[in-house]
This record gives sequence, C-alpha cells and structure tokens, in this order.
Amino acid sequence: MKVVLTTKPRKNPRIPVEAELLIPESFLDPSGAEELTVWEGNRERGLSDLFDIHVEGGAEKAEEVQLVVRGDTGTLKRVGERMTGGRILIEGDIGMHCGNLMKGGTIEIAGNADAWLGREMLGGEIRCRGNANHYLASGYRGEKFGMKGGVVEVFGNAGDYTAEYLSGGKVIVHGNAGDLPGIEMAAGTLVIMGDCRRACGNMTGGEVYIHGTVHQMLPTFRKVGEKVMGEPPAPYSIFTGDIANRGKGTIFIRNYQYLL
Amino acid sequence: MAELLVKNACVIDPLQGIEGDIMDIAIRDGRIVESVRNGAEVIDAQGFLTMPGGIDSHTHICGTKVNFGRYMSPEDMRAGRTVKRGKMHATSGYSVPTTYGNSYRYSVMGYTTVLEGAMAPLEARHTHEEFSATPLQDTMANTLFDGNWPVMEAVKEGDLKRVAAIVAWILEAVKGFAIKLTNPGGTEAWGWGKNVECIRDTVPYFGVTPAEIILSLVKANEMLRLPHSVHLHCNRLGIPGNYSCTIGTFDLIPDLNRNRQSLYATHVQFHSYGGSSWPDINSKAEPVAYAVNRKPQIVIDMGQMMFGKTTTMTADGPMEFNLYRLYHNKWSNHDVELETTSGIIPVLYRRKNLVNCVMWSIGLELALLVKNPWQCLLSTDNPNGAPFVKYPEIIALLMSRPYREKEFATLHPHTGSRVLLPSIDRELDWNEIAVMTRAGQSRALGIDRIGKGHLRAGAEADIAIYPLRIGDTDPSREYEKVIGAFRKTMWTIKRGRVVARDGEILVEGKNATIWVRPTVPEPYRMEQDPDFVRNFERYYTVRMSNYPVQHHYIPRNICIETEAVL
Repeated sequence: MKVVLTTKPRKNPRIPVEAELLIPESFLDPSGAEELTVWEGNRERGLSDLFDIHVEGGAEKAEEVQLVVRGDTGTLKRVGERMTGGRILIEGDIGMHCGNLMKGGTIEIAGNADAWLGREMLGGEIRCRGNANHYLASGYRGEKFGMKGGVVEVFGNAGDYTAEYLSGGKVIVHGNAGDLPGIEMAAGTLVIMGDCRRACGNMTGGEVYIHGTVHQMLPTFRKVGEKVMGEPPAPYSIFTGDIANRGKGTIFIRNYQYLL
Repeated sequence: MAELLVKNACVIDPLQGIEGDIMDIAIRDGRIVESVRNGAEVIDAQGFLTMPGGIDSHTHICGTKVNFGRYMSPEDMRAGRTVKRGKMHATSGYSVPTTYGNSYRYSVMGYTTVLEGAMAPLEARHTHEEFSATPLQDTMANTLFDGNWPVMEAVKEGDLKRVAAIVAWILEAVKGFAIKLTNPGGTEAWGWGKNVECIRDTVPYFGVTPAEIILSLVKANEMLRLPHSVHLHCNRLGIPGNYSCTIGTFDLIPDLNRNRQSLYATHVQFHSYGGSSWPDINSKAEPVAYAVNRKPQIVIDMGQMMFGKTTTMTADGPMEFNLYRLYHNKWSNHDVELETTSGIIPVLYRRKNLVNCVMWSIGLELALLVKNPWQCLLSTDNPNGAPFVKYPEIIALLMSRPYREKEFATLHPHTGSRVLLPSIDRELDWNEIAVMTRAGQSRALGIDRIGKGHLRAGAEADIAIYPLRIGDTDPSREYEKVIGAFRKTMWTIKRGRVVARDGEILVEGKNATIWVRPTVPEPYRMEQDPDFVRNFERYYTVRMSNYPVQHHYIPRNICIETEAVL
C-alpha cells in the first residue's frame, strides 16, 4: 500500500502542524484517512484540509504501508510518533519531534530535520540525508533515559546535545556534531565522523567513536590506551569516564584538544 | 439575587457544634442566610453528609517551586492526563499537576480553600499568577521568613518591633497571608554549604540561633495581630532522632493568643523520628503527641506519607540535598537572594522499604495519639508525603482499625518492632474528621472570622455534600465506602454556586486571594527606614520600588486588615 500526502497551500504556512497521526497505522483502514484530524496551531483540521491524499492498494499490517509526505513539510511536527512498522518517506525537510518514541519501521528524510529527531526512540530506523538540529536521538527534558533502541543515521551535521541520555541503540552522524554530544549517556553507541565539542560529559556507560577532533575535551576522562583503527588506519586515543560521575564509558578519539 | 436552598442536609459543622442534624441551608449571593424566598433553586441533599467546604492548611500547589517540579518531571506530567471537556481545561500530572488539575481534583473532593505552604517573597508574582489559574478554591500564601537578612539582623539586635515592622512591610508588599519558617536559619546556612543541627546552633555570619528567630517571630506575629500564627517547619526534617529537636522547639513557645494556637507546626510526621541513623529509625510519635497534648498553644498537621510516586519540594534546601544523596536521582536546588532556598526531588515511597513503612505509621499515630482533633489537622504536605488525592484513604485509615490492620499486614515485616500503630484502638468519628479537614483549619488559620469553615448565617457558602449517609455507614467496617464517598462529592458548592457535581466540573470559576495588611505606626514604616532601604538597594537584584506585587495580580481578593500594637 502506498499513501502519498502532498501539502496544500496554507494561509499562514509558518504555523506548526501537530501531525502525530501521520504514521502507517493510521492508514490501514482505507475510509479512516478521511476522518483523521491534525492540529494546526490551536485549530483542529481534517487531514484533507491540509493535504491532497492519494492512496494506492491496501494493507493488512503497518509493515505493508509506505507513507510518502511531500511538499512544504518543514512545519509538520511529531510525524512517525510511536510508529511500530512500515515506512515513511519525507521528500523535504521535517519539523520537530519526528519519530519520537517510535518502536519499529523506517523513516527516511530527504532534507533536513528539525530538533528532537528520534527522541526517546525504542526501535526501528531513521535516516536523514540532510542535517539534524539539536537534541538528535536524545531524551526529553527532565527524563532520565533517552533513546533505548534502534538506529539513527544523519548524513549531514547534527546540532547540540546529540544522543543526550543515550540508553541503547546506535546513533551515527556523518558530518560534525555540535556542543555536548553524548552527554549523560548510559549505554549504546554514538559515532561521529566529523568534529564536535565537549563530548560525553557525565557519561556512565556505552561507546563513542569520534573520527574527527574533539574541541574543548573534558578533563574528567582518563586516557587508558591507544589503538590503530579506522579507514585509512590511524592512531586513536582511548578514554574512559566520566570520572566525575564514576562512569565507565569508553571514547575512541582521532584528535582532541583541551581548553587552553 | 442568586438564591439556593440545600434541603435535607445531614450537617456536621464543628464550629457551630452541629453533629449530624438534618437541616436546610439557605444561600443568597454567595453567603449563608437564615432563609430564602420560595422559588429559589433547590438541591435535595437526601440526608447525605454535608459539611463546610474543605480547607487545606498546608499544601504546595502554586509558585516557582511547584512549577520547577513540573518542569523537571516529564514522567509525572505524562501521568494523569485528561482532555478538555465542557468547562474543564485539559489537565496533566499526578503529584505536581497543572494548576487546573489541582483545582479540579480538590474541588471534586469538596475542598474550597487552600493555603500554599511556602512562597518566597521575591517570587510572589509567580504564586499569585498561578493562584488566578486555580479558579475553584480561595487561596492564601504563607510567606517565607526563615533566612531573611533584615529579619535576622533585627533579631540579633533584639529589636522585636523592627522584626514586626519588617514582616508587616513584606507581607503587604507580596500579598502574603502568614509567616512561614522553613528550617529557620538552616536555609541561610545552606548558602554557606552548611545546615543547622537544631535550635541552639548559630547561623553563619548573622550569629543568631533558630530558637531566637522562632521566638522573635512568634512574638512579632502577635504584635501584628495576624489572623494565623507562625507556621513552622522545624529544623532537622527527616533525620533519625529529630523528635527531640521538635519537642525542644515546642517547649520554646509561650501561649500568647486566646483565640488560636501560637505556633502551627507543619508536617510533624517528618519531625518525629527516633533512632540515630536510617537502619535503627523508629517512631517517636508518642512523645511528640504527648508534648502537643499538654500544650494548647501548639497545633500540628500530620504530613502523612502514603505509598507511591510523588515529588518532594520544600524551601529546606539542605534537607533536599540529603535526600538527593540517598536517591541519586534528579535534584533541583535554588537560592532566593536574601530570603530562602528551595530544593526538589522526585521520590517513590515503597512498602518494601522499612523507613517508608515507619514514616507511614508515624503520621497515623500522631493523628490518633493527639487527643484533641483541633490540634492535629489532616494533611500530606501535598505533594511531599503524598498527593492530596490520597486524603480519602487517610480519612478511612483514621476511622477504621480493621483497614489499618489490613494495610499494616502488607508492610515490611520489621515495621511492627519500630512503631506503635498496631497497639492503638482509637477510631475517629465523623465529627473529628470534620474538625481535621475543615473546622480545625479554619480556626487555626483564623479565617473562621471571615466566614470560612462553618455554615453560620453570614458565612461564605462553601459546602461539600458527600454521597454517604452517616446513619447507615459503619466506617470501621465499610471503609471502602468512606473512601469512595470522600473521593467524589455529589455537589461541591463554592460561593453559592454548584461548581462540581458527581466529579464533573460545571463552571469556569474565579478564585479570591486572602491576604493580610498589618498597619504599623508611622516610625515603623519600612519604606521610610534609611537602613532598610539602603540594604535593600544594595543586596537585592531588584529595586525596592519594583518589589511589591501590584494589585492587578490579585483581581479578586479578601484583605484582612490588622492594627499592629508596637
């Protein structure tokens, strides 16, 4: 089954749309799509008021649904929230909280993602071809656990607080990450191909690979060895910490630089 | 003229001495009157239990601290969600719900007046703003003076009149209701990374002791003729062996007022621990209750702890730090300039935990061992001991020994050797419960004079009608029925209007804030005192002219004016 949603022109396109119903499960009942509603600001709208809906075929399970979202999608929030299966393809940018609490399935984003992509994710895969904003694959403010499972891959850069409170799963950033990636992380794997700043503060467990330079490296990590790894092979420093938090996390770093 | 007649109500009104008489209550324009004309709207109470609206004399529902509790606990905000329905706003949260959540849940339980237990004067605006979004209860705010620099300086100089004058200026400026002391002296010591052990320790720099602060403010309170007494959270909260500090504090207090107590000691459950460390903690409710029994000048509230998740929040910063070291969970800590501190951590009270089981027993023991119910009021120090939605269960526990035994059987097996609850036979009656949930509060807060907590002609028409006939109910055996009835009123009437009916909120509502304005003689006006003004401008981050809360923050209010005798 393939569902294509194309945004219609809106009177005020900057008002965010709370679109937590844009998940494969919502389209299993073919007549149900007409009755779905989303909130545009403080107004409740029918899905067909905001989108042209085009449906091909049918599906028994979420896994058989492919949902394509097209057009001016940068203000859509919470797309893919709690989804359990199937595939969502976003052809442009996506708004905040995409894929939060998702359990399974795949979200592909062709453009950039706003903050909180894959927040508190439990399983499944998210791939973002552009950049991701702050709090990529993180926990929610005040929560003690972040992403617990699944894979998030960003091909561009990521913002600050990437993989904050990471508690499982794998996060890969192909570009640079911002300030404080892996802060408070407890388990799971974080890979940053580029540079970042002040990595892994208060980390208690898990593994982090940073293939670029860590600026303002925190002094509360103890260097425990070196290893040649990567492609092409290069020497990496191995750190453990965060000692200030009696942490037992491990960081593999290509280059690092303390705050002078 | 809006008129309402409540017919066939089985009234319990301790302040009037009515114990279960069937009578009619006439209401006109929000007040109780002798009679109304034919044609008034009629509610047939069918002999159901009818009491004045409930009053909570110590709860934390509005202000910066509560709001930070919401902010740091998304897991709490994810519980207890209700959607917008009719006149009801959407709500969320369990132990620290949204303001509307608090207001609706209190109203459904028949509560019409609440007192916010701790408002930092500097942050009063936030409290008043949240009060105006707590529409179904009249509200008051205890104002914190525990670590107030000018007050401590005046105490050091032994100038009681100046203490009173400073209190008067601040209370009027922040639209507060009463003097609250939270770990007096200890909150200032916390600014130095320290705490005070008990009432005889000195506060760093200021060189005063908690005993001096408490006694000075108790006396100043009477000089200002405030409606309520000093509202004290004793030193050493939550530390095994603290009962002796609590009793020592009670021994300080002279009997200064004929109409009410001279000291209101709050959440005394947290202050009645024996032993020397957590492993040997035991209940010292008996000596504490004995001290209360022979001192009519003291009123306490239980601060009952109930099992489950909640959030602890208090101005007692050092105590919260100790808790944080026990739990290693989230912790918030805050310093309020010249005034006080605060701390917040979420907790889970468990039946498997011996300390928690002892705490649970102590609260009940206090309520059962204090002979006069006017001296021990029902509270959980919401949300510190438990969210206030647990009140019906506490009422049932106090009224039913079998229910206590049933609950006790589920506790940690060693609890029995640490507490005396199993040996207490007392079961409270309906009248005593009415005292502990409304009449006692009304008298202790001194708001019986403005028509709260009773149904005399002229009183505010705040009435709760519970779906229970006291004649057909044996609370000892039918405790489930008691819990069910106190959870949900049939009608809650606020200011002469039905605001809640069978758990549904019917109106938007609008609160009134009760505050005091003590008038002091000309030489004691602090805004003209050069020392006070200079230090204010020097140490605060706000200008003195920006400090007072403007009147538009309390659009509907009841001002209690007093004439100070200095």
